[in-house]
Amino acid sequence: MSRNDHDPFPEEAPADPHPHARPDRHPGEAAFSVLMVLASLVLLWEAYGISGFEALSAPGTVPMATTAVMAVCAAIVMLRTFRLPRAEGEGFWKVVLPRPVIVVALLLVGYALLLRPLGFLPTSLLFLVIAVKYLSRRGWGFTLAVSAGSLLAIYLVFRIVFTVLMPPGIVPEGEMIQFFRDLIPGRAG
Amino acid sequence: MDAIAAFLTVFTDLELLLLVAVGTFAGVYIGAIPGLSVTMAVSILISFTFSWDVYPAIALMIGIFMGGVYGGSRTAILLNIPGAPSAIATAMDGYPMARRGEAGTAIGITTVMSFFGGFIGILVLAVAAPLVSDFALSFQPRDYMLLALLGILLVGSLSGESLVKGIFAGALGIAIGAVGMDPLTFTERFTFDQPLLRQGVSFIAVMIGMFGVSEALAQLHHVDTPAIRQKITRIVPSFGTIRRHLPLSLQTSTIGVVIGALPGTGGDIAALLAYDHARRVTKKPERPFGQGAIEGLVAPETANNAAVGGAFIPMMTLGIPGDAVTAIMIGALFIHGLNPGPMLMIDRPEMFWFVVGALVAANFFMLLFGLTGIRLFTRIVEMPRAVLIPLILLLSIVGAYAVNNSITDVYWMLGFGLLGYFMRLYGWPLGPVILGVILSRLFDDNWRRAIISVREDFGRFFWGILTSPLSLALFTAVVLIFLSQTPLWGWAKARLFGRGAEDAP
Amino acid sequence: MKNAFLGAVSALIVSASVAAAQDYPAKEIQGIIQWGAGGSTDTVMRAVTPHAEKVLGATVVLQNVTGGVGAIALNQVAAAEADGYTLLMGAENPLLYKVMGLGDKDYSDFTPINLLARGTPILVAGKDAPFDDYAGMMEHIRANPGEVRFGSTGPGGLPSVVTAMIQAVEGELDVTFVPYDGDGPALTALQGGAIDVMPAVLGASIEGIRAGTMKPLALFDVTPAEALPEVPTVTSFNEGYAAYLPWGPFFGIFVRNGTPEDAVAKLTAAYAEAAQQPEFLDLLRNRGFTLMNISGDEARAFLADWQRKTAWLMHDAGLTKASPEDFGIARPGE
Repeated sequence: MSRNDHDPFPEEAPADPHPHARPDRHPGEAAFSVLMVLASLVLLWEAYGISGFEALSAPGTVPMATTAVMAVCAAIVMLRTFRLPRAEGEGFWKVVLPRPVIVVALLLVGYALLLRPLGFLPTSLLFLVIAVKYLSRRGWGFTLAVSAGSLLAIYLVFRIVFTVLMPPGIVPEGEMIQFFRDLIPGRAG
Repeated sequence: MDAIAAFLTVFTDLELLLLVAVGTFAGVYIGAIPGLSVTMAVSILISFTFSWDVYPAIALMIGIFMGGVYGGSRTAILLNIPGAPSAIATAMDGYPMARRGEAGTAIGITTVMSFFGGFIGILVLAVAAPLVSDFALSFQPRDYMLLALLGILLVGSLSGESLVKGIFAGALGIAIGAVGMDPLTFTERFTFDQPLLRQGVSFIAVMIGMFGVSEALAQLHHVDTPAIRQKITRIVPSFGTIRRHLPLSLQTSTIGVVIGALPGTGGDIAALLAYDHARRVTKKPERPFGQGAIEGLVAPETANNAAVGGAFIPMMTLGIPGDAVTAIMIGALFIHGLNPGPMLMIDRPEMFWFVVGALVAANFFMLLFGLTGIRLFTRIVEMPRAVLIPLILLLSIVGAYAVNNSITDVYWMLGFGLLGYFMRLYGWPLGPVILGVILSRLFDDNWRRAIISVREDFGRFFWGILTSPLSLALFTAVVLIFLSQTPLWGWAKARLFGRGAEDAP
Repeated sequence: MKNAFLGAVSALIVSASVAAAQDYPAKEIQGIIQWGAGGSTDTVMRAVTPHAEKVLGATVVLQNVTGGVGAIALNQVAAAEADGYTLLMGAENPLLYKVMGLGDKDYSDFTPINLLARGTPILVAGKDAPFDDYAGMMEHIRANPGEVRFGSTGPGGLPSVVTAMIQAVEGELDVTFVPYDGDGPALTALQGGAIDVMPAVLGASIEGIRAGTMKPLALFDVTPAEALPEVPTVTSFNEGYAAYLPWGPFFGIFVRNGTPEDAVAKLTAAYAEAAQQPEFLDLLRNRGFTLMNISGDEARAFLADWQRKTAWLMHDAGLTKASPEDFGIARPGE
């Protein structure tokens, strides 16, 4: 059963037809439940600030009702979680945040920060190369080919076909595309 | 006779037929890629087909619409990332099947059932459009509110191990849906005085984050395990399988048509309500729901494709859009010099029959393109995870950005991805969050309209529910489903039938 | 966020855009539509732009950026480079942002390229409403205080302005306002009987009126509409409205102030020509809009006049968050 299973995301779908709540808690689970209670209370306070108890039809009525439900449910979950024993032999860094998760999460944060100043193409290429290289531990040739190839495909579909204007950053892609457009005769517009 | 000629236009003109085929093919892939939506594709086509005649333009759009609604199921099954909101319910049972190596079977059933649902939708459009549109128009704000409530009760089905956590997640979703400037009163809600938050949180960004990013992060736990081999033995489901699910698919198609025809609700809500319906009426699924039940694929996929025909019902009879895509198609008709409205059916009946014909053609092409190329698609999931996961993440980012051309949406998507990762880890269900976001405005806006219409008078509000047959029916359904999820139900059942509730979960 | 690297990068961008300005347009132009796909603004912009693209010899990529009553789109264009490669395609709403507390920018921060067309408000009722014209409606409202349900689309929307006008002319109106998030959904609700009366733009209701699914009560203009000549004007019921009419929502294309004159001139010429295309004129006629096709000082004067009239009307009806005076918007006639 799940007691001895330290894998929070089992590879196969569970065989047990009725998933039971686990008899113990993962590391960090109690802290997460406290966080949820706090978040609910902050949201409840914010919802109260929208329109108070002004009227049934006020814009803040439904938000207040839902955040109140959130707070109550989160509190119940928190109490239940604290009553469970801590799972034995589970290390926080192994079960909750193993190294690949941390690295990729940091890469995502880096991506978000660099996207606007650097532009879509360089940021995405950087992200793909680092992530694929780190995760696959394959050669540079493989990494670069896979990254550049898939980025090109994504760029063609989103930018050219669907005209989604990703932040250009340092790459003057608008001018580049116009240049290629001008090469095609008969399509001035 | 003119009607038949107009209906056949699309089949006799090779160019039109080809356009429908191209549209459907493109639609399947647009639908499959999260962030590329049919709505987006169709609005781009307005400029693109500007100088065309109206028939080819509409033929292309209809193909994309039909293919796109279906295509969302692909990525839902293979990657647990619904390509479109209407495929959220499909992921619930489709992805567990793919994890067993049965992606081929799942896609096969999805395709055939989408075809079936699409067909029912078109049939209703062809024979009963005026009737259904009158019915759809008679929905009052309180009825929409009850419908939303009915959807919210689905939390019970989506909760997994803990109902309390499910209710929390659903409420969180409703709160997320309220973020931003309230479109009815322009009051800021949950914006913490940040101008950035005024535009609200894109629902697609939440969906991609919660399903796509959190799934990718979770898969990093197994980055070195080779991917599951997919067995592509039987793709087209046996006749027996189809026949066994015929009653269910008829019911869920009906749900799809009606929800699709309602202005303001579309395939996403139809699919979720159908999924819930299937859970309730299926006594003995071959596998439990949430772990690869065929019924869990049949219901949403019939419903969302039936909703396509449904969405055309108010559009063609009244000029009122049934969903976001038909709203843009109405704009396209205007640009092409037609006047969509109640008079369109009278002035230009051939337009109606042409649309029906194009839908039929698109439905057949969908079946064709759906059943071919599955092997190629399943290859995607057999790619090494070290390559697949970064690609999913990049696609998620681009997809979230593309919805509203907003970097803020990318930040939201990443934030919800991380939150989703921890929620998964600690056993908080994610389905209800998305459900809440989808239904948030439907519920909130219509609740306010309903209570304002009766001047905040609760007595009049309930009197209104009791005196309208439609409201009363919806209200009864809400009460019954609510009771069925509480322990009281088992007790009452035992009392009434003299035996214990044998299958209380 | 800024550092030396970014400085170098932006220098590169600036030099690139300087080079580009000499030969406008050197790349594709971004058109930001303030409202969602399928709405009137969207339809008008998508119909006129292909013609303008031909004249300009460049691609205009249209994007819908919705939210915040259009303020999100406006702020996005205001934050972009003033190089003529980002166009704002909007409606009248920004002129009320300041008094409604929705933002601190409006069209005075932008240069009008073209004010394409304006719409005419019309008061419509459900087909089962117990009155047939404007006078009957007013009588019914007075006899049944609080019972008549008016559709509304939030403060600053067309229905709120029309309602403010009615209250300015007829005095306090005891009706129930049911909020919708656009005139499309509200007109749908009108046909389903969820509301009784809706102040809408003529174009959105024209087909329903022709088919008899809604009743026209009065046209909010001084002269009858070409598309529906039999609908009486509201001034034929009460002369008092003449002080406020003609009034209507409008659609326009804008660039940021400070955009190079060459780009403004080229865009203005392109859209002026595009707005004269027969297909576009047909579309406007079918949807009940009146062509304006004005730019430059004429457009600025129109905007200023519109803002004065409407802001004060809303302020006098008590619907604003701040006085127009605070923003230097003078009362009309002063």
